Amino acid sequence: MTPKKSGIWSFFASVQLALVLLSLIAFFALVGTLVPQREEAVAFAERIPPALFSFLQKMQIFDLYHSAWFILLSGLLAVNLIICSLDRFPPAWRRFRMRHEPKNEDIFRDVAEEDTLLADTDVRTAADAALSLLRRKYHAVERADEASSAWLCAQKGRFSLFGVYIVHVSILALIAGAVVGSVFGVEGFVHIPEGETVESFSLRSGGQPLPLPFAVRCDRFTVEFYEGGMPRTFQSDLTFLKNGRAVRSAKLLVNHPVEFEGFRFYQASYGAAPGGKATLALMREGGRRDVMNVAEGYVFDLPGREGTFQVLRVEENLMKMGPAVKVAVTSRRGQEAVFWVFQQIESIKKMSPDIFEQVPLFNPGLFRPYTFSLLGLEEKYYTGLQVNRDPGTPVVAVSALGLIGGLMLILFSYARAVWIRISPSGDQVLLSIAGRSYKNQPGLQKEMRYLLAELKNRLEKRR
Amino acid sequence: MIHTKILSGVTFLYFAAFVFYLFRMVLGREFWGKWATVTALGGLAAQSIALVVRWKTSYDLGFGHAPLSNFYESLIFFAWTIVLLYLLMERRLKNRSIGVFVLPVAFLIMAYASIAPGMNQRIEPLIPALQSNWLTSHVLTCFMGYAAFTVAFALGILYFFKTAAGPRPGVFVRLMPSEFHIDELIYSCAVLGFIFLTLGIVTGSVWAHYAWGSYWSWDPKETWSLITWLIYAVMLHTRLVRGWRGRRMAVMAMVGFGCMLFTYLGVNLLPSLHSYMS
Repeated sequence: MTPKKSGIWSFFASVQLALVLLSLIAFFALVGTLVPQREEAVAFAERIPPALFSFLQKMQIFDLYHSAWFILLSGLLAVNLIICSLDRFPPAWRRFRMRHEPKNEDIFRDVAEEDTLLADTDVRTAADAALSLLRRKYHAVERADEASSAWLCAQKGRFSLFGVYIVHVSILALIAGAVVGSVFGVEGFVHIPEGETVESFSLRSGGQPLPLPFAVRCDRFTVEFYEGGMPRTFQSDLTFLKNGRAVRSAKLLVNHPVEFEGFRFYQASYGAAPGGKATLALMREGGRRDVMNVAEGYVFDLPGREGTFQVLRVEENLMKMGPAVKVAVTSRRGQEAVFWVFQQIESIKKMSPDIFEQVPLFNPGLFRPYTFSLLGLEEKYYTGLQVNRDPGTPVVAVSALGLIGGLMLILFSYARAVWIRISPSGDQVLLSIAGRSYKNQPGLQKEMRYLLAELKNRLEKRR
Repeated sequence: MIHTKILSGVTFLYFAAFVFYLFRMVLGREFWGKWATVTALGGLAAQSIALVVRWKTSYDLGFGHAPLSNFYESLIFFAWTIVLLYLLMERRLKNRSIGVFVLPVAFLIMAYASIAPGMNQRIEPLIPALQSNWLTSHVLTCFMGYAAFTVAFALGILYFFKTAAGPRPGVFVRLMPSEFHIDELIYSCAVLGFIFLTLGIVTGSVWAHYAWGSYWSWDPKETWSLITWLIYAVMLHTRLVRGWRGRRMAVMAMVGFGCMLFTYLGVNLLPSLHSYMS
């Protein structure tokens, strides 16, 4: 070991520090799930004294996962991981590079009785059997024959020594990816009513809407329901425009985001947009019936040129009496009549027969000689999109793969070396087995037992 | 529904298996142990059939999905993985002493799923956010992890039973594996659970990335899974680097299990994006 280690170095190289940091991060994460965070903290503020609230806010308790505390802990963990890995890597590298000699007196110094085997054979035959057995299970097998004895050494699982470094580097990369995401990434949302175009979106963190380098139009929004009323699918047909020209059309579904120029769009929600279309029928006393499609703000001439009418509002469910459209009719002499046209006017009249006397505003025949009726509403939706740009995501994805790979390497494989010594013992042969494992002594013991039993089997069969 | 009937039968089979394991431990006769294993195996087989039937029924109803989509289905699957894992371990260890601690857990989960008030046992269609191939891999890996942690927890209890016994223990304790072996088993289960939990978190992140537009949003369930992950990370480090063994490992297995349980059930008390689990 190098003598250069200062106090700070060994502090950051220690596993105790890692354990303390992991526990502290776990603790802070726990607090964050109990104390309302971000938007939810507003309601919480009303229930505690203002002084306490402002103190807690200064301590960044209400945005714990983005607080200085959390960044500090993650930063310390990162430093700890780096120093700890640098500190331990050289010996691990030496262990990785180490080629064991087949002849190793030390390892057989105090070999246990159960790690030996007496066989009625000669040294050569026993060594050949041991070699073929070891070759079947190990990659690197070496053999050294001496005048009267033979030595074998086999190694395996050296790469698992790197597993822990792969995991640690992956976690560092994961933290780095998350930092990149939080510094350079943006997260926001936008609502687009059907048929409309947007060129910016609102940020989750608040503030000014962020302009997009392109425009998005929602051509159509469709939602399908199960029989029970739960939504089955919802979908937005989007068109991306650059300088007013449609560049790309895409169908956006839940679980199937669409990416355009580095921004990812997610189907998050939907709702009824104001200003749906309505189908109105217009009946002139003793005359013809006109049907027309209207929307808020539309202005029409009356069929008999008595004046104009304008659609003021389209309501899906006015005062719990169903769909209704508010209309203003202006005669050529400037008289104005404003009234609501209900779709279910017949059933409303049945419930309260004198409704028109009580509320003239609800009389669809208020402007003579016309009677309006509402045939139906065509609902208009808006689509709610989540908009993200996170350049850290690929880094995080690769780190996650590295993390899993490294863990598998550590936990399902281990570095070990086994030696077999074969020497004459009277007119028999004594086989001894010994091994060395950096981490998994019980596993190695089991493996040695297995090797010895298998060897015994083979030698007995041979006779 | 035929599958709910089978599943209530399975509940009784697991209880019977537990009773047989108990007989074996108290009477010290392997005869009961064999019956216990056979009963547990029968329960597992019947439960597998019920799960397949439920899966198929969902297709017949026109919205086929793996039976892993609501709280009821997750409980059933949890019990299934616990018994599966336990029986695999029993086979490898050739020791039946752990069953007396594991089977009651499986039984209680099944019983809770069958009789808890307000438990929705119907097969329901999936809302759009759940219509993803990641649903199966995410739930599968998470519950494999949960099951491994549960077995580790049962082993932790076993460890305390073993150490609490005096120098001349009764047959109940003598049948148990040695303290050294229990410790090894706790470690193996924790490792297995840790890998599956990691896979569960990663698959969940990938799914969240596609469904919610963010691989990590500090949702309580996500946060608690991280806490659980950190606790087991601490546990593995204390063992591998600090050399903690025995009693300390058993305590860690219990703390970790508590965190896991909160991740699974407790977070339903907190507002969460995972709310369809409740």
